[in-house]
Amino acid sequence: MTIFTFALKRSFSNKTNLLFLTLFPIACIFFPKGEEWPFLPYGYQYFGIIILFIGIRLATIILEDRAKGLVKRLAVAPISHFQYLSQNLLAYSIILIVQCVLVVYGGVLFGQELYQPGWLLLLYISFSFSSLAMALAWISIYRNKDVSFLMYMAIIFIVVMLGGIIIPVEIFPDLLKRLAVIFPTYWLGQGINWVAFGEEILDFLLINGVLWLYTVVFMIIGSIRKIQ
Amino acid sequence: MEPVVFVNVWRFLIVGILMHLWIIGDFMVSTFTLILLLLMLTSLRWRFSLSIWWVCVDVFICFLYFPYTTISYYGLALPIFELSKKGKGLFSLLLFGSLFITSESTSILFWFYLQALFFGVFSYIALKNQAAFQLEIDEQRKARNELEQVKMELLVASQTASEQAELMERYRISRELHDHLGHDLTGASLALQAYEYVQDPNEAEKVLQEVKNRLERSTKNLRETVHNMTPIIEIGVERLESIMQHFSQIEVQYHKSGNMLTVPAYIWGLLESCLKEALTNVARHSNATKVEIDLQVTKSIVRLSIQDNGTEKKNSQTGSGLRSLQMRSRSIGGSLSITSRESGYLLVCVIPLEKGRDG
Repeated sequence: MTIFTFALKRSFSNKTNLLFLTLFPIACIFFPKGEEWPFLPYGYQYFGIIILFIGIRLATIILEDRAKGLVKRLAVAPISHFQYLSQNLLAYSIILIVQCVLVVYGGVLFGQELYQPGWLLLLYISFSFSSLAMALAWISIYRNKDVSFLMYMAIIFIVVMLGGIIIPVEIFPDLLKRLAVIFPTYWLGQGINWVAFGEEILDFLLINGVLWLYTVVFMIIGSIRKIQ
Repeated sequence: MEPVVFVNVWRFLIVGILMHLWIIGDFMVSTFTLILLLLMLTSLRWRFSLSIWWVCVDVFICFLYFPYTTISYYGLALPIFELSKKGKGLFSLLLFGSLFITSESTSILFWFYLQALFFGVFSYIALKNQAAFQLEIDEQRKARNELEQVKMELLVASQTASEQAELMERYRISRELHDHLGHDLTGASLALQAYEYVQDPNEAEKVLQEVKNRLERSTKNLRETVHNMTPIIEIGVERLESIMQHFSQIEVQYHKSGNMLTVPAYIWGLLESCLKEALTNVARHSNATKVEIDLQVTKSIVRLSIQDNGTEKKNSQTGSGLRSLQMRSRSIGGSLSITSRESGYLLVCVIPLEKGRDG
């Protein structure tokens, strides 16, 4: 588990990362509640965007390793690519899960109206994994860290806009409403709606299932070993 | 680009088509999971080479969604493609049976399946050809490698053969000297010793005559032996000089220094080839008017340098003749370099002389 411990330490080593990993999620707790939309307080609606950013910040560490030639050295070390990737991802997912717990139960303590905090936590965790897998798949096509990060910011903006996190899907034209379903953020939005109003547990399971399917698909694509 | 790239692009394109159909169609949101599942299988096929049996999973997933969405019928194009890609196109015809149970427009679906089948068969052939070519290239490479090996062995063998030949020749010379000269000279020497003790003048005269005869005979034998052993063809440095004399196209300046007798025959063979190749190249490819040839023999090396004054710059790809000479010189521990300068081409061949060989 050396890689795991090291990945944990490394994630907090840089100041920007520290900001992303601690301050932003905590700030989410204190956002006020919207009038009609969103149904949860603003911070909880936008936490999805933060999860996407954190995903790429963490995954970029793997890209850095690749650029520095560390992956090449690992290839000749007595350690498999699977071990390297899984221990890194485990560290990142633990960071993400801890943040989700912090945000959800911090909100409960602070007195935010979260309806069903347990289910909300589950939803955030599922979405965290999708976000991490997406970022992993994204960096697998890039060589340059900065370019990949900037491009991904643009993608996040589109995904968040069309996925119905910033603007409710209901006001979209019909075609865009259908298009929104493609993005994982749509399912996060639907999940949040379910947490606020949901009754049928099957719907919520479907939402989580889709997020997990996205995770698997992107993980398969992103797990490719690239040595440059 | 390799055919497998097109195969993967085609797979993802089909998933794209399914997404498009889903967006423009009026289906339940939950049926989107079908597309995600097929996407998952497609990415698995992209990353790993899955066995043919995995098409059952695709068919099963599509089958599960038959009652809910017509996209599942379009999804069957993926297993049809995978089957025909593995050369099992006939099995994929079974999936065409789904045309009879669908409510979707059968004609479009039929053409959709048919193009999947067609591209699958095409990929099958392309991948098979690629594998065959790969195999052939590998075999060619192996054969070439073996050939190089044999060549190196031959070079070494020729060097040993030349050394053996030299030893045999020495042995022959010593035998000739022993057989033809040894007897007479020994006889003459014995007769001279006897002459000192002979008292009778007549007898002494006879002995002296005998000594004379023997010495005359041995001188004659020596002359004959030397004559017989002198080769008619030129060898060594004389051969090199004769090549230069016969090269009349361009003016040749020649210098030599050192003891040429210390150079063994197999090195002369190589130097001769170098000289011939260099002079031919100068005559054929360069606009030179003068060639300077310098042959130096020291205690440890032989150095042959050939410099022309040609100004023409051609693409300096070393020809096969020079490459083979480079290899030959490397095989006996030397080197051959060709440098192109402002003042013309310079070829330098340096071969080490083995010390203590003669001893």
